[in-house]
Order: sequence, then structure tokens, then C-alpha cells
Amino acid sequence: MNVNYISDCLQSIGHYGKIISVEQQLILQNSLLVLQNENHFRNVYFWGQILGEVKDYYVAYGYVTDALYGKIYYYSNDGMNWGLLPKPTKNGLLLTPLCTTRFQGDAALIIDILIGVDEPNIGEKLKAPQIRKLKEEDRLASLIHIISNEAAVIPRGAKIRRPDGVIVDNLSFEGLACLEAREVYSYLHDRIPTQKFNTNLLTRDDYNYATDFMDPLDIDKPEGNWIVDIPIGDSIVLLRSLFWPGLVFYHFLNTHKHGVVYIGYGKKCIDVPFMLSPFT
Amino acid sequence: MLYGYPVDRNAGEAVEELPDKETEFVSAKTFLQTASTETGANLYDHLAELLDKILAERPQNVIDLFEDYSRKVKEQRFKPSTDHLEDIYVSPGAYELADRMLRALRPLPNKPPSTLDPDDLETSDMSKNNLLEMLFYLEQAGLGLPRHEMAYVMLSMRRLANTQPIASIKFWGKILGQHNNYLVVETELTEEEYTKRNSVEVDETVVIVEDFEEAQEVRGEDDKRPVLPPLPQSQYEEPKEPAIELSGVGLNKKTYFVCTGVGADWVELPDVIPKQIRVARQIYKSFSGDLDKGIYTYPEFPGTERNYLRAQIARISAGTRVAPLGYYTFGSEELGEGAEEEELEEEEPGGVNKTTYKINPRYDPPALKDLLDSSMSFWVHTEPYILPQGRTSWWNPGPEEDEAAEDEQLGEEEEEEDKKPVKYEAETGPALLTPLSEDASLETTNAWSPRTTSDVFDMYPLAMIRSNLWPGGYALCTLTKTFYNIYVGVGLKYMQSNFSPHPLPGPMQEYLLGPEILEVPDPSGKDEQDWKEAHAPKPEEVPVGEEEVEGEQEEVDEEEEEEDD
Repeated sequence: MNVNYISDCLQSIGHYGKIISVEQQLILQNSLLVLQNENHFRNVYFWGQILGEVKDYYVAYGYVTDALYGKIYYYSNDGMNWGLLPKPTKNGLLLTPLCTTRFQGDAALIIDILIGVDEPNIGEKLKAPQIRKLKEEDRLASLIHIISNEAAVIPRGAKIRRPDGVIVDNLSFEGLACLEAREVYSYLHDRIPTQKFNTNLLTRDDYNYATDFMDPLDIDKPEGNWIVDIPIGDSIVLLRSLFWPGLVFYHFLNTHKHGVVYIGYGKKCIDVPFMLSPFT
Repeated sequence: MLYGYPVDRNAGEAVEELPDKETEFVSAKTFLQTASTETGANLYDHLAELLDKILAERPQNVIDLFEDYSRKVKEQRFKPSTDHLEDIYVSPGAYELADRMLRALRPLPNKPPSTLDPDDLETSDMSKNNLLEMLFYLEQAGLGLPRHEMAYVMLSMRRLANTQPIASIKFWGKILGQHNNYLVVETELTEEEYTKRNSVEVDETVVIVEDFEEAQEVRGEDDKRPVLPPLPQSQYEEPKEPAIELSGVGLNKKTYFVCTGVGADWVELPDVIPKQIRVARQIYKSFSGDLDKGIYTYPEFPGTERNYLRAQIARISAGTRVAPLGYYTFGSEELGEGAEEEELEEEEPGGVNKTTYKINPRYDPPALKDLLDSSMSFWVHTEPYILPQGRTSWWNPGPEEDEAAEDEQLGEEEEEEDKKPVKYEAETGPALLTPLSEDASLETTNAWSPRTTSDVFDMYPLAMIRSNLWPGGYALCTLTKTFYNIYVGVGLKYMQSNFSPHPLPGPMQEYLLGPEILEVPDPSGKDEQDWKEAHAPKPEEVPVGEEEVEGEQEEVDEEEEEEDD
């Protein structure tokens, strides 16, 4: 969520109940502008909040030139003092999905993770159950990387690739129309594309080289894991993912305003296949 | 003027001669005006149109958007300039919202004056339902629904209370579904209404089992087909269902109304039955937003999404409805109330707990430090605990039936079924107004996380607690004498590890165990030899014809039997 829209969060992400509290709105709006100034960011965004048991984490990011490849993440316990979030480590990315405990809110905490012999995601065959250690800061970094990769969303056309390859916010983006907004493929994953560029281009008729370099949302399985919700009034569209409860994407139709906020416990819900109805 | 071939004018002519400006201009313009062989457009007109548009709109940093502008101008060209549909007025999407809001904003029709004494009249008190005030506090705590939605709920609650026999009404929260979300209000109906509902007999559905045996017996005498053993019958006996709690009692004490959004009608949810609660505990299903949609799961859920929603609301209420310590009291000193309570207790032998409480007039909010204490002993549950049976008060399945087919803890660890009558141990749970410190915790996390809403505005702090078992359940206590409960979420319980569906039961025995279906090993050669030796006629005795014949006959019989096996 762009830092300038934080103050209207009640009307946008408020549809799903969780917002940024009044006090935090004040704090974040100012502290993030300071952060932007210190780092010479072109834009600074509030990413979300990880609810911990004792304390919560606030996460923000900004970019200098490239709106996709150049994101730099910061985190904070109080919203005022920001620290640079480390890059996700290989170990962290491996262990984070296996860690089922709540975040505590202490970045220096070392978590013990028990890995069973039959754990398939670990990549190697273990002879005996093993305990591995993970620092909560690394867990946070990996989690944010995973969530951003899987569930950060932009409306189609909001970011364009310039001919020199740099990805920037599209200043002439006028927003999705109501009919377009009902379709999942009008939204793109705000991540480094995983499919070949021509795959993403050729799956639609009205392709555009500048905007369709990103992966559309409809490649996600199973179908129905993204919920598109246009409340009555047709002024806003909201998206949420069943995999990441707490993540909300909003877009005011026919305007350039859009954003993603995650306020949740940082646990992926992998029970989606059970939750969806078998007959749709 | 135009040459079909390149001409180098400077080649043979005088060097001083300047190129003809006019000629150059016309040449360039002609080139730009060349129509594209594909689309028929030409660059000259396009640029003129584009520059016209840019000059008219004058956007900032236009050079960065130039390509995009160019594309938009081209797109516009495809739209016919005489669009007859343009004249048709299409109402904006916001019109529908405005229309619905306006309907809610209109004053209520006057109720016909009642003949009853105004003191006896049970009318719902709307004075505690200022949702905009509630929203103010929720916003401090990082919660909230859009302002127009809250205003709509407040207005339509007033309307609902006016049309339905409602004694008290309260906003409960919001449950998110796939196609629609549910706004939920919690009401208590008037005594009169509850009595009326309970007097109506409920028809029990009878399952007709076809009798296969009868069908087999009806056969002609001269039928030469071999007589088949009777078809296997299901020996499974449905465990005896605990009695349904009556309207106005236990889990059905409150009645819930839901609506799918601003402007939709309020729909009353049916009463919950114990089986729905028990099955809802074993499944993990998201809401679709359609009340009549079937719930397809194993174990089979008895009912549609309407019932599932009601069951989940009951479970969430039992888990997350809390109040600060001392806000409610059992009020046993009061004469009239006390008598009623005793009656209730007599009716329900299992429930030793009191089921009613009232607001403590001498309530003094606990100190903030206490409310935020991680032991959570200053918050109490205001909804009764739901027993594993699916009721709030225990129902004894024992005495009427001698056959113990009941397995009440379905879904919990299944006990070995005994054939002799079982003495049922009454299930008990924490009493009403038990502190949250008694709550079961997850493996490593506490059931609740307390937070203060303000670190900076520390002169006006609120205490907020967040349920970790039911993500989305919150309680808020202000320093004035109020508190709020709200639930906004997907309506599913938190799971530390992931959901694993209930395993199917083992297959039942198809036929009764008997010699016909037993598998016995064939006798070995040695066994046969031994048998023959044992049964061989004794050589000492003088062979008598009859005996020998009998012996042989026996042998043959035995062998035949063996073969049959």
C-alpha cells in the first residue's frame, strides 16, 4: 500500500475487518516518509504486519529505480525505527514453511525446528529426526519473500517495462473497468515472472508487450483460490487469497489507486483443497 | 516534383545552390501521409491527433508516457464516432448502493400502539448499538468495517428490531465467504416467541430401509435356482443423537440474522442441533456466500451452508465472546431472577452451571495493567462452553437404552465399543463467566494475545485481546464502562498443524462368521494318511459286511465334507 493511501485504509482494506490503527497510521505515514527520504526511494510502500504473540512486526519496502527488481525491505517492531530486512537465505527459505509456531516479535530469537525423517521438502534423505535452528529475523525475511512471491498483486497495466528494461509504475494507468475487474486474469503477480515472456503474452488476445511480461493470477492452482469481490457500489474491487488469510488487495475501479496489505499470522493455509467445494 | 528513383541533386549542379525548402517539406509530408498498407492510417494524421490530445490534456512528464498516449489514440480510432449506444443512459454502479442506503435512511413506519402495559413490553434496546461509536473504538485497535457498512448495519438493525419479535439485538461481526460475505447480528427473541416456537412439534424424518430378505422369500416353489444366502445387511446402528436444545435454551439461546451486504435482507438462521456442531468440528470448509449451498464433506454434514454457518457462529461465540471480569454477575441476590434460575437447573440435570447472568450495576472496569496481563484472568467467557456432545448441558443417553451403541465422542478418540451397558460419564466443561486463563492453549501458543492500542496516546489507552484459536475474534475494553466483542474472519479455527480429514471407518463384516466362510488349510498327504489309518477297519475283527459298508460310507462322507470346506 502506497504510504499516501494509509489514511484511507478503512474504506479499502477495511472491508475485511483488519486495518491499520489510527495511531499506527499517523506513525507509519511519517516514519515511512522519513525512511523514503533517507534512502532516496522514489516510492515507499507499507507492506503489512505480521502479528506476533508478544510483539508485532511492521514491514515496508521502497525502490529507487526499478519497481520490481529493486525492492528493498525494512522491518520494525513499533513502526518508528526501521531496520533493513536481510536477504532471505537458502536455509531460511527451506525451514520457514516447516516452522508452525507463532512469531514472537523478537528478531534475535533462535527457533528450533524439528524435521522428521519423512519430510519431503527438505531435499535430502535424513537418517534420524533432526533439529535445525533458525533466527526469527531470517524467518521473517523468508516469509516476506514467500508471501510477496505468491500473493503480491497488481492490476494489469499498473506497471510497465520501459524499452530499456527498467520496470516502472505506469503513470498513465487509469484503472480497471468494472467488467475487467471481475476476471482473475486482469491481475498480475507482482513478482519476477516465472513463465516465459511469450507464454504470458500469448495467453491473451489483447496483449501488450509493455504490460504483459508478468504472470497473470489465473495460472495459480487450484482454481478458486483467489476470491474476487466487488462490493455493491462498483467502486472498489478486493482480492484475497485462500492460501494467505490476512492478505488483501484492493483497487479503486477506474482510478490508479491500488495496493496490497498483509496483516496476519504469517502462516500459509495449505488446506485450500479441502476448503473449496468439490462442485462449483 | 517527386522522383521515383533517388536523385542526388548536388552531384552535377552548382555547390552553392541551396536545397529547395518547399520541395523538401512536401516530400517529407508526403512520406508521412503515406497510408499504411495494413491499417490504412497514416503517421501524419496520427501525430497531429496525438499532439492535439497532449496539448489539450497537458500531462506531466509527457515524454515518458508518449508511447502509451500514442497507443490510446490508436485505440480510440477503432471506436465509431457515431455510437448509438452512447445515448442510452447507463446508471453508475454506485446508484444501487445509494438507492439501498437511502431506503435504510428513511424513518421507520410507526408501530401500531400496543395494548400491553409498556413495562411488560419487551422491546429491544438500541441505545447500546451505536455502531459508529463502536467503530471509533475499533479503529483505535486496528479493526473496523467501512463506515457506510457500519451505518447500514446500524440502521437496518433498527428496522429489524421493529419488524421481528426481538428482545435484544447486538452486532456480532462479519464472516467472509467466496462470493458474498455475511454480516451477522445476534438477537434474543421475546419469551413469547420462544414459547410459540417450542410448542410446534418437529416431525422426525424416518429413514425407510428396504427389506431385502422379504424380496428373497417371494419366489416360486418350482424355482430351480440354488438358494443363495441372504444378502448382507448393514449392522451399523446410528449412534443415538443427543436431544436438540430448544429455542431459547443453551446454544439456541440466541437467534442470529445474517445479510450478505449493504441492502440485502436479513435472513434468520435456523436453530443448531448437536450433530451439526460435532460434524462442524471435524470438517474444514470455507463459506461460499450462498446460504442454500450444500456442504459436501466427510463426515456428512447434516444441512446446508445455512446450518454450517449457524454451527460455526455457535462455536465462535463459545470461544470468543468475553467480557471484563465483574461486568456480569449471576445476581443470585435478586429474588425474581433467582427463582427462574433454579427452575432451569432442575430441568437440566447435567448442567450444574448457571445459565443466566445480568449486568453488574456496581461494575468498575479493571485496571488496564490487569486487563493486559498475559494470564488473562481478568477476562471471562460470557457464552457457555460447548461439550463434546454438541450441547451446552449434558444429555444422558444411558438409561432408556440397554444396548450401548452410543459413541458420543465422535471425532474425538473413538473408544472400543463394549457390548454391556456403559455407564455414561457426564461431560463437563468450565462454567459460565470462567476466566480465560482456563482456556486450552495451542501446542506452543496461548489462546489469547493481549495488546494495548496506544503506545503514543498513552493517556487514552484501550485494552484489546486477540483470539489465537479463532483468528478474527477480538474483544475490546474501554476505560469507560463499555466493552466490545467482534469477529471478522473466515469462520475457521486456527490449526497449528494442518487439517487432515477424518479417516473412513473400517469395512464392516459382510456375513456372520461361520464355517461356510472360514478358510481352512487343505489337509496334507500325511494328514490324510493319518486319518485313513485311524479310521481303517480293525483287522482282528471278523469282517461283517454291514459294518464295513457303514465304515466306507462314513469315509466317503468325511471326504466329501473336506472337499466342501
